[in-house]
Amino acid sequence: MNKQLITNTIRLLRIGSGIKWQAPALTAVRQYATPPKRFYKTTNVLSTDSGYEVTLDHRKLKTPNGTLFTVKSEPLAIAVATEFDAQKEHIERSRMHISALCFTAIDNPNKLTKPDMVNYLLNFIATDTVLFQYDNEKDLQELQQNEWDPVIDWFNQRFETNLQKTMDITPPQVSDEDKMKIAKHFHSYSLETLHGYIFAVDTLKSIVLACAVIEQKITVERAVALSRLEEEYQLKFWGRVEWAHDFSQQELQARLAAAVLFVHLNCSENFIKQKSII
Amino acid sequence: MAGTKVLRSLLHELRLASHSPGKIKDSLAARYILAQYKKYETTDQQLCKARDEAIFLGQTYLTYLTSLRKYNELYKEYHGSGERTVKETADLVGFKLPTDPK
Repeated sequence: MNKQLITNTIRLLRIGSGIKWQAPALTAVRQYATPPKRFYKTTNVLSTDSGYEVTLDHRKLKTPNGTLFTVKSEPLAIAVATEFDAQKEHIERSRMHISALCFTAIDNPNKLTKPDMVNYLLNFIATDTVLFQYDNEKDLQELQQNEWDPVIDWFNQRFETNLQKTMDITPPQVSDEDKMKIAKHFHSYSLETLHGYIFAVDTLKSIVLACAVIEQKITVERAVALSRLEEEYQLKFWGRVEWAHDFSQQELQARLAAAVLFVHLNCSENFIKQKSII
Repeated sequence: MAGTKVLRSLLHELRLASHSPGKIKDSLAARYILAQYKKYETTDQQLCKARDEAIFLGQTYLTYLTSLRKYNELYKEYHGSGERTVKETADLVGFKLPTDPK
C-alpha cells in the first residue's frame, strides 16, 4: 500500500514536471534565405548576332533585372556557363563572381556613367593602401619599402605620374596633372570594363596594385599578398587563424581573379593577334 | 614548362569544379582552353606577347578556380549550422557515447 503510494506520487511528479518543462529556446540561430535549387542539368553557350548567350538546359540565362544575358566575348560566356555548371545542389549566387560582374555590367543597377566611375577611381588614389606606410616599426617599414616601393615606382613610370607615399596619417598629395593623366587612361576603357576595374580596386583597396595586376606586372596571388602585407606581417607574431585569415585571402583572390579576367576578356580585341604566315 | 603545368592544373580544377566530373572532355571550358593552347603552340620559342597574355589569363583563371574551391572548403568546415549534436560534441572533445562500442 505504502509502496504504491510512493510510486504514484513519483509518477504524478514526473507528469507535472513534464508539463512544466519547456525546451530551452535556441539562441542566435540565424535563418538564412535558402538559395535557389539547381533546376537545370547542363549549361551551354549560344552564338548569336549580338554576342554570346548562356543556356541552362533549354532556357536562356537572364540577369536579375530580367534582361537577356549577352556578352561580347566567347571565353567570358564559357566562364559563366562553367560557373553555373559548377553549382552543386543550390545556386550560390554570392560565390559566382564572374557571373555577378557580368550581371552588374549588363544591368548597371546603380545607373553609373563613365564620369562617375572615373571620379570614383580618382578619389581612391588619396586613400591607396600602398601609399600609406608606417615608420615606427623598423621591420614593417623595411618590408613595405621592399615590397611596395617597386610597384609605386612602376606605376609612376607607366602613367608618368609622381605619386608620393606618406608616412603618417595625412593623405598623400595628388596633383591635378597626375589626376588628369590617370583619368585619361581610365576614360579609354569601355563602361563594362570599368565595372571590372572598380571591382578590382575595391577588392585590393588600391589603384596602384589593381593597375599592376591588370597590366600583368604582378600575379593575382602577389597582388592580394601585397594588399594584405601588414596583416601577413602581424600574423607572424599573433598566429594564423584559418577561418579568418585564410578565408579572407581566398575570397580576395577569387574576387580579384574574376575582376582581372573580366577586364581582359572585355577588351580582348587587342589580345588575339594572329601571326601572319609567310 | 610553365604552360603545360598551368594546363594540367586547370584541367584538374575544372574536373573538381564540374558537376559531372567524369566527362571533362565534353566541357566547354576544357575544350576552349585546349583550343587556345593549340593556337599558341607554334610560337613556343619566339617572343610573342599574346602568348604571355594567354598564359597570364590561364593562371588567373586557375587562381580563380582554386581560390573558390578552397573558400568553399573553409566555408563548409567552419560556417556555423546551428547547434551541434551530442555526437559531434563528444567527437570534438574525444569522448565516446554510451552507445558506441568501446
